[in-house]
Amino acid sequence: MKEQLIAIREAAENSIKAAKTMQEIEELRVKYLGKKGELTALLKQMGSLSSEERPVMGQLVNEAKALLETAISEKSAELKKAEQDEKLKAETIDITMPAKQSKVGKLHPLNTVLNDMIDIFQSMGFDVVDGPEVETDYYNFECLNVPADHPARDMQDTFYLGENLLLRTQTSAAQIRTMENRKPPIRVICPGRVFRADEVDATHSPVFHQIEGLVVDKGITMCDLKGVLEQFAQEIYGSDTEVKFRPSFFPFTEPSVEVDVTCSECGGKGCRVCKGSGWIEILGAGMVHPKVLASCGIDPEEYTGFAFGIGLDRLTTTRYKISDIRLLFENDKRFLDQF
Amino acid sequence: MKISLNQLKNYVDINVPVEELCERMVLAGFEVESIEAEGENIVNVVAAKIVDLAPHENSDHLQICQMDIGKGEPIQIVTGAQNISVGDIVPAALNDSYLPNGAHIVAGKLRGVDSNGMLCSGEELCLTEADYEGASVNGILILKPDVLVGTDMREVLGLDDYIIDFKITANRPDCNCFLGVAKEIGVVLGTKYNAPVPSYKTVGESITDYIDLKVENYDLCPRYMGRIVKNLRIKESPVWMQKALTKSGMRPINNIVDITNFVMLETGQPMHAFNYDDLANKQIIVRNARDGESIMTLDGKEYKLNPDMLVIADGEKPSCLAGIMGGKESEIEEDTKNLFLESAKFRRDNVRHTGRALGIRTEASGRFEKGTDILNVEFAMERALGLIYELDAGDIIDGTLDKYESLPEERVLTVTAKSITDLIGVEVPEETMVSILNSLQLPTTIKDGVITCKVPSIRDDIEGRADLAEEIMRIYGYDHIVGTAMRGNVARGTKLPERIKADKLKALLNGLGAYEIATYSFIGSKAIDALLLDENDERRNAVKLLNPLGDEYSTMRTQLTTSMLTVLATNANRKIADGRFFEISKRFIPKSLPVTEQPDELPTMSIGIYGKDEDFFTLKGIIEDVMKLFGAHTEYKRSAEPYLHPGRQAVVLANNVEAAVFGEVHPTVAANFELETKVYVAEVKLDVLYNIKKRKTVYKPLPKFPAVERDFAMLCDIDTPVGALEKAIISGGSRLLEKVELFDVYTGSQIPEGKKSVAFSVWFRSADATLTDAQIEEVSERIIKKLEAAGGILRK
Repeated sequence: MKEQLIAIREAAENSIKAAKTMQEIEELRVKYLGKKGELTALLKQMGSLSSEERPVMGQLVNEAKALLETAISEKSAELKKAEQDEKLKAETIDITMPAKQSKVGKLHPLNTVLNDMIDIFQSMGFDVVDGPEVETDYYNFECLNVPADHPARDMQDTFYLGENLLLRTQTSAAQIRTMENRKPPIRVICPGRVFRADEVDATHSPVFHQIEGLVVDKGITMCDLKGVLEQFAQEIYGSDTEVKFRPSFFPFTEPSVEVDVTCSECGGKGCRVCKGSGWIEILGAGMVHPKVLASCGIDPEEYTGFAFGIGLDRLTTTRYKISDIRLLFENDKRFLDQF
Repeated sequence: MKISLNQLKNYVDINVPVEELCERMVLAGFEVESIEAEGENIVNVVAAKIVDLAPHENSDHLQICQMDIGKGEPIQIVTGAQNISVGDIVPAALNDSYLPNGAHIVAGKLRGVDSNGMLCSGEELCLTEADYEGASVNGILILKPDVLVGTDMREVLGLDDYIIDFKITANRPDCNCFLGVAKEIGVVLGTKYNAPVPSYKTVGESITDYIDLKVENYDLCPRYMGRIVKNLRIKESPVWMQKALTKSGMRPINNIVDITNFVMLETGQPMHAFNYDDLANKQIIVRNARDGESIMTLDGKEYKLNPDMLVIADGEKPSCLAGIMGGKESEIEEDTKNLFLESAKFRRDNVRHTGRALGIRTEASGRFEKGTDILNVEFAMERALGLIYELDAGDIIDGTLDKYESLPEERVLTVTAKSITDLIGVEVPEETMVSILNSLQLPTTIKDGVITCKVPSIRDDIEGRADLAEEIMRIYGYDHIVGTAMRGNVARGTKLPERIKADKLKALLNGLGAYEIATYSFIGSKAIDALLLDENDERRNAVKLLNPLGDEYSTMRTQLTTSMLTVLATNANRKIADGRFFEISKRFIPKSLPVTEQPDELPTMSIGIYGKDEDFFTLKGIIEDVMKLFGAHTEYKRSAEPYLHPGRQAVVLANNVEAAVFGEVHPTVAANFELETKVYVAEVKLDVLYNIKKRKTVYKPLPKFPAVERDFAMLCDIDTPVGALEKAIISGGSRLLEKVELFDVYTGSQIPEGKKSVAFSVWFRSADATLTDAQIEEVSERIIKKLEAAGGILRK
């Protein structure tokens, strides 16, 4: 009987080792360990043994059973893994096939740039305010020190809607509304749409956008203006950007300056973009004219302030090297998708 | 204003190269639009000597010239000219040369014979007799025999000048002239400025015997000065004067007209010359035009005048449009004998109004509009008389007629040096402040830190400390300004609630695959017609531009849909297969028409989608997400927008207020926008949505007990809205109902005519316990009853 057991065990071990599939393993398990299996049959024969032999033989059979169970579970694990590996291998895909896109839209490039600017100025403590696009002559001109028939009105061809109503030619009008509604210290920017009677071409649009900045407080100087603009320019164009003031004229600021920054294309060496000068004009600015402060009920003896106006469209077209401003208003999806 | 560098050198020492001059002027506030080197358009043209001439075999007029160009062997050039002979020195455009007319000359063959350039006429070099004697001859320009062979023609012609175009800002009308700019150059370079000193002799007699001057309106003409010159000797003005005029863009005419124009360019004060003998009754009356009067101006055009317009009249009729243009009748002509010369100040707004009303703008009116100095009237008159005397253009009669009510008093500003420093932020030495202001001819002293500055009338732009600060800084140099950080509050700035809401809305729409667009705020007056709106539709009540660029841009939009449809058409017609777009902008709703006050500017959003996967319900999905963002309780109702498909549109009530209309665009409207594909649009009133108070979000515990799903399939009339059935389920399910989803709508076989089958999945759940069959049974019964009431009979 012992020999019989050894023979069964050896035969089983060999078969398990040689098994190729899970099915074979299962068949072997049934064949040897099943209810009608060979080892089970052997156990059933134990009754015929003497009481001395029985425990010895029982232990041997149980050992053989345990051995085979282990062999089967190890082999089946091995086969399962091989089977899984095979399956995974068969599932290999071409990862260069196109992605399944979740469609996501984009902000208009003007607003992408605007949001960057809002972030920069908010971080410097500027509140973001809005003003109406249809303005009165009073807010767009009179209050900004541009009385009727002032030659400065020629600088901006204005769309009129009625006797004293017009489409604002600058966001500066929002300065006045802000100063009327807030007490200094004032630190605001007003982004918005403005209008001038320019025929549409690659660089002109009757509708464009500005960001007006205004600071009014005690002790505000032109150096503060430069400080703010330097921080702005460095965040937009890079940390080594320099800012240069050139004297200019706006009726609502005095002194007034045009503000140039180092050409970001050539780093100031001079190139086609900056027409060899190394500088690019980005905005107009100045100290708020005492008359403008006074007309808003702010004492120009006590308070000073500065204002600046940035052309958003120009900033956008230069940032993305957009050659024709009309593209901004045409809204071709292939264009909008690029930003 | 264009000014020649050589002209400026007559008044001020310029000791730096032109580029440096311009750079420094820019930093002092005078932007330079362009620097044009005189003769820069004559390239590679040299003086060459004809050493041999031979006829051309294949031509009866061409000649073959051997030209000595001062470099070794002569070169061969074929010419058609006949006025040349061996030994002549002439201008030769060599191979790869350029002429002022833009012509590019290259070597080639003329009737088979090599020609290595071209001999030039005076005309081809854009020369007149004033530039070079013989320039007007028909044929090649023969140069003087002492011209060195091989010399560049620019040198031969003395073209060493530069023409600088300065952009004069609106606050500096005093610099629209040679002297104004020269004065500034003197300050910028620190060199000496010399104004011309006019002098002349008169021939006696008295002006009062010649003319009677009356100013009727001192308000519009604060000063009027007149002189008489007799025995005019009209001829060409000298070459220097003609050049100064042409370089500044004016055409020389004759000595008298040229003098008036030159004095205007030099002093900034426009002058006018009248033919004295054409003045009726020997009277000059400065008055408003009378109703029905008209004038024919120098350009030969006839203008009807009105009493708002100021004229210089003789005893009978208007003879000149004050400050704008003279009359044809009293024009200075070659045979004019006697002259009445005017120098005056006219009020700038009146000149501007008259000029605009008549559509005339001249060098003179431009200057009056920008503003002239009342004291300069006299200097300009003296200068003109000095030139008349110097050029021997006529005999000056004694006496000046000079009419004004008052002349301005000298203004004195006192400000502290500290107040200037406080504005600029950098310390400018007090003595520097004073010396800069003095150099600008603003006589200034300082005592105990208080600056006293006398401001002449010519600088009426200077009104206070800010102006003085600017004058000081633009000369001292803005590079002294050093950026500083502002003191005070450093908290992050805020945004208005509307902007925050719009930002969130944009993020949502981007996430839903929609691209933000930007379109003009004005649309065509006919654009609204394309929407098929009713005649009385209030969206037709739009604010109109009084001076639009064209009808296309004439009307402030009361809705955004027309702009959206245009964008959809642009994309669809470019074969872009699909797209989702949105725009957040304003609709302009007038309070009354015609507008007397600002219209309401209401925040509005349009959405437009198209493509094979889009339909009414994909748009409805977007709308629902938008409504959820604002926490709106919504209700969808059929609407009747004429621009939408009558059966595929809805209005959305948000908390019972109309907030949006959306649907498929009506095919006729689509065709109006040249759209061939189905498109779906929404117009959302953000003013309504922004006003919704969103409830605070409070966490609900996640369910602990399982949900039970039941399906309800029913038959109902074909036009029963699914929404009504859904409502019935929600109301019947009450608090046990967790979710209801439509999963099937079917008509066709096995369904009776006029009916449809509708099926919903419904989920029930209780927060407190697992639902029992009895509970499910009970709630299902309630739902079935509600469904029956709503017209849905459960299918067994």
